[in-house]
Amino acid sequence: MITLIKQELYKLLHKNGTYIGLACIFCFQIALAILSKVYPGFMSADAAFGTGFAGSSIAVFVMIAATASIIAMEFQYGTVRQLLYRKYYRSQVFISKIIVVILHALVLYVLQFVMALLLKFALFPSIDLGASAGHGRTVLSALAISNVADFISLLLLLSVVLLLSTLFKSNAAAITSGYIGYFVMSMASSLLMLLISHWEWVKWNPFTMMLLGNQILNPTMSSVTHLSTPIMFWGSIAYTVVFSFLAYALFRKRSV
Amino acid sequence: MNEMLTVKNLHKSFGAKHVLNDVSFTVQRGHIVALVGPNGAGKSTIMKLILGLIPSDGGELKVDGIDVSITSHQELAKVGALIEYPGIYPFLTGKQHLELFATGADKEKDIDKVVAALQMGSYINAKAKGYSLGMKQKLGIAQALLNNPELVILDEPMNGLDPQAVKGLRDVITNLAAQGTTFLISSHILSELEKLADDVLILNQGKIAEHKTMHDLTHSAVSVFVIHTDNDVEGQHVLAAAGLIAELDHGLRIQQNSENNLDDALRALIADDIHIRAVQQVDHDLESSFLDLINSEARGAKQDDNAN
Repeated sequence: MITLIKQELYKLLHKNGTYIGLACIFCFQIALAILSKVYPGFMSADAAFGTGFAGSSIAVFVMIAATASIIAMEFQYGTVRQLLYRKYYRSQVFISKIIVVILHALVLYVLQFVMALLLKFALFPSIDLGASAGHGRTVLSALAISNVADFISLLLLLSVVLLLSTLFKSNAAAITSGYIGYFVMSMASSLLMLLISHWEWVKWNPFTMMLLGNQILNPTMSSVTHLSTPIMFWGSIAYTVVFSFLAYALFRKRSV
Repeated sequence: MNEMLTVKNLHKSFGAKHVLNDVSFTVQRGHIVALVGPNGAGKSTIMKLILGLIPSDGGELKVDGIDVSITSHQELAKVGALIEYPGIYPFLTGKQHLELFATGADKEKDIDKVVAALQMGSYINAKAKGYSLGMKQKLGIAQALLNNPELVILDEPMNGLDPQAVKGLRDVITNLAAQGTTFLISSHILSELEKLADDVLILNQGKIAEHKTMHDLTHSAVSVFVIHTDNDVEGQHVLAAAGLIAELDHGLRIQQNSENNLDDALRALIADDIHIRAVQQVDHDLESSFLDLINSEARGAKQDDNAN
């Protein structure tokens, strides 16, 4: 298993796309920080820093592409047989890919968090990290908590992307389906808020769990989602596991 | 144990189509076995089953005496394979492909050995996306030979290789087989397999139609002679009048059997004052043995259909 994870990391670290994705996140954060500095009317420094200069939002796009291609590329390049005929099982190959996706996402989130702090110190020294950000949190802890919540929602989203990507034989198709899935989920979760007010049971759908990040930042949202934050957290984890199992079932059935 | 691979009563269907029907054979350690058959005979399916890539519908598969299936892969640590076409990551160099899959303490040494054997040194550090078909094929073979496998399964390994590379590959395979590596190779280039293989498995319509040593296969067939005369057309009439069948094909081509024999043919020609210039025995190679077998089975099937 360790060998499989090492092999997946080796491939990830030798792909240009890995570094292009990271560069995109950093460039976007720097651009947003400079814009806030030069045009405070466009976005205040506090608001921009509160979002980590949009680092986690861009990381979502990078991770959708990375997750969609991690299985689809093996079918596109015809390398899937080499992975599967060795002493390892399909389940091990699949789990090693999931572990690498999680590690990749974790590294991106940590790096964009560090970059947000560096930009704050370089361009906005006046922001007080220890100041209150409401709900009993400091500015720094609010950013960290928001990142953790985004990360949990990201895992749920990536499990759906993985499920979709197992259906495709080309990288481009898998990535496109991932982005479409992301936009559909974003739109659906907003739309469902209306439905939950009419039908209580609708709150249990996976799209509601996607709002975990929003609810952690703004706990009053529970009156809209009709779910407590801990339940949404565990709901997210449960749906992530279910979608991952479905993705594995499809991967296992695929002909090679 | 001398059997590296054991296949017993193997069945495989895709939907209603029976691809393999009660296939049984063994491969001895250190032997090079040619798996030949027409397109769709089930060669790649057998290889995929051995590699645990697809589930079987019954039967046994053992590598070095241990069961192998889609849910039992441990013994495949001893196996290297190239199936259908090489899998290539375009963003990696050839060397990185080998580093990716190399295991054990002597990784670098093993990689260098394989690269040298297949003469890939001049391009091994270039990105694989720029490789020609032949270079990709060699890289696929190199991956199969990496980590000193005990059993190597190669599906059409000569695809895209130039004659020099084919000769080089033949040398590599025979050298490794001499050191104890077992090979199961399928190819449509029968002349190459004939130079390589110790044993031949002929697969037709999902069944093993023949399993013999190469020597037995190429020597057990009927003898064919070509008689060169000063008048082959007249000679054919003379032989026909004597009740002998000869084909005009750069001489008079006759098959030696109970109705036809060389003695009678020569006597008939000389008696008619036709001058014999040369008599030549035609080798019955793997290709002709294969075609004879496939054609005779096709004729048999047709006769059965007509009888029904």
